[in-house]
Amino acid sequence: MSKKDNKNNTNHSSRALMWKLLRKHISPSQLIGFSLASLVGLTIVILAVQFHQDVRPLFNDEDSFLRKDYLIITREVSTASTVLMANNEFSEDDIVDIEAQPWCRQVGKFSSNDYSLEATISVSGRGMRTMMFFESLPDEFLDISDRQWKFDPNNPKIPVIISRDYLTLYNFGFAPSQGLPQASEMAVSKAVDLQFTLRGNGQAQTFEGTLVGFSSRLNTIVVPEDFMKWSNEQFGSGIGRNPSRLIVEVNSPGDERIGNYFADHGYQVAGDKMQQSKAQGFLNIIVSIVIIVGVIISILAFFILMLSIYLLLQKNTKKLQDLLVLGYSPDQVSRTYINMVIYINCAVLVVSVILMLLMRAYYMPMLKAMDVHGGSIILALIVAVVIMALISLGNILAIKRKVKALWIQSS
Amino acid sequence: MNNITLHNTLPAVFAGREDTGSEIWLRDVTFERGKKYLISAESGTGKSSLCSYIYGYRIDYSGTFAFDGRDIKQLSVAEWCKVRSHHIAYLAQEMRLFPELTAMENIMLKNSITNFKTRDEIVAMMERLGIVEKVDSLVAKMSIGQQQRVAIIRTLCQPCDFIMLDEPVSHLDETNNRIVAEMVTAEAERQGAGIISTSVGNNVKINVDKEFKL
Repeated sequence: MSKKDNKNNTNHSSRALMWKLLRKHISPSQLIGFSLASLVGLTIVILAVQFHQDVRPLFNDEDSFLRKDYLIITREVSTASTVLMANNEFSEDDIVDIEAQPWCRQVGKFSSNDYSLEATISVSGRGMRTMMFFESLPDEFLDISDRQWKFDPNNPKIPVIISRDYLTLYNFGFAPSQGLPQASEMAVSKAVDLQFTLRGNGQAQTFEGTLVGFSSRLNTIVVPEDFMKWSNEQFGSGIGRNPSRLIVEVNSPGDERIGNYFADHGYQVAGDKMQQSKAQGFLNIIVSIVIIVGVIISILAFFILMLSIYLLLQKNTKKLQDLLVLGYSPDQVSRTYINMVIYINCAVLVVSVILMLLMRAYYMPMLKAMDVHGGSIILALIVAVVIMALISLGNILAIKRKVKALWIQSS
Repeated sequence: MNNITLHNTLPAVFAGREDTGSEIWLRDVTFERGKKYLISAESGTGKSSLCSYIYGYRIDYSGTFAFDGRDIKQLSVAEWCKVRSHHIAYLAQEMRLFPELTAMENIMLKNSITNFKTRDEIVAMMERLGIVEKVDSLVAKMSIGQQQRVAIIRTLCQPCDFIMLDEPVSHLDETNNRIVAEMVTAEAERQGAGIISTSVGNNVKINVDKEFKL
């Protein structure tokens, strides 16, 4: 007898016994089929979400220097206006009329330099020299600290903001063709030496410039207004000119009346975001389609697992009923299969996130070259967990319902 | 649980019968804790149905079954689990063993939810019924008589107020019948439990307080 005792030291915990009993009829091929389908579906969904998160900054029209509800407008330049040498400036009347519009909060004028300007741009010893222009706009329209955006004639250094387009032009046009490395904004701000030579009124003076930053909405070279005033007094001819660009603060940039008004008057919104929003709309559509495909695959996978579980419960009906008669509760009986489903789904979740991260690691270098450093992975993780939680919940409820239905047996 | 009462009960398949000639169906019957009953029946008179109604897994009957006066149709699933693991020990005629598990595993499947017997006690019972060498044998590989003995031991692995045996010794010889009777009686007396046993002829050798004809 004791010999038998020693021999039989198998684990008799009810959970192990239940598993031994109920794993019968589990179809590995069905579960593998579900796992693969579920893995593909989930990975597609979260990869699309993650890609959208990562790429979005490319299309983001938010500008750290300029608020969203500011529009920069110019007069439309047409062939006719060129031929007729028409004036592209805004008159006082134009400005008063814009200010009178219900959607307008305030109007600011861009002023430009009234003297000759030459810039020397050098990067690690190599330099280039070019004629240039400056523009300024009232400080209250710029979101920048006073400390950075200040000009002191006694310690002259000119802070400038340049259009991001110039950097893009360099990175994707100039640098590859010249075999130069691509540069990020940070690197450029540090590496580039700027010198400006101002000539006029019989004088010339050279100033050092500091690159304060890049703007995607100011497609010009912007300097502080107080510097513009000072330099125009020093070097300018003194003839006042009307502005050719205005910055308008509006209540709501999406307002239809604004577009209509501009169109009627032949004004153009600079840094037109239309193209950008088209591209972004396109991105959104593509990502949505991909997500829908992924969700459909996930739903199909869900039904594969459901069918597999139903079949399993059907085949094991008698065993499950015998366990219930033995005194096991429906919850205890369900738990074996619920645990199985949870293990599988957790494994799919983990593998799917790993796959997503691997693929992300593959495309991120391309985005980094475009100065996009990627969004957070939190959203993709939340989506993954939520989808798997929903699938698991559906499975668990189905298992519980099916087992409960076995409670009363037919004669 | 002190008593199980039947009031005017009848399996649905017998519906419409005025007088079945039964001492159970359509009668008021009370089974009391601590007493021993034999229900003798002919085949097809609803013997196994009676057990399954009392054990709550079939409800195709009319009339009322009650535990301590409470209609059993009002019992919740949790209450039924408690009844099955702590109040009524039941040996089904079809035994409901799991052929892919060993004899010991089958017994442990019950004992692990009640923690009622030690492994040694179980082995001792198996030895008494002459199946100790089958402890690690798959039930599928055992004879019907051996399986019946495994099922009887499993039935005794729980605290109870009643032990309900549906043809417990149909496949046992005289000796084993006597041993089973002794074991069941001893267990019932130890717990103060009642015994309800059914039979179509081969009665378990228990001295009963009352015999019903089904």
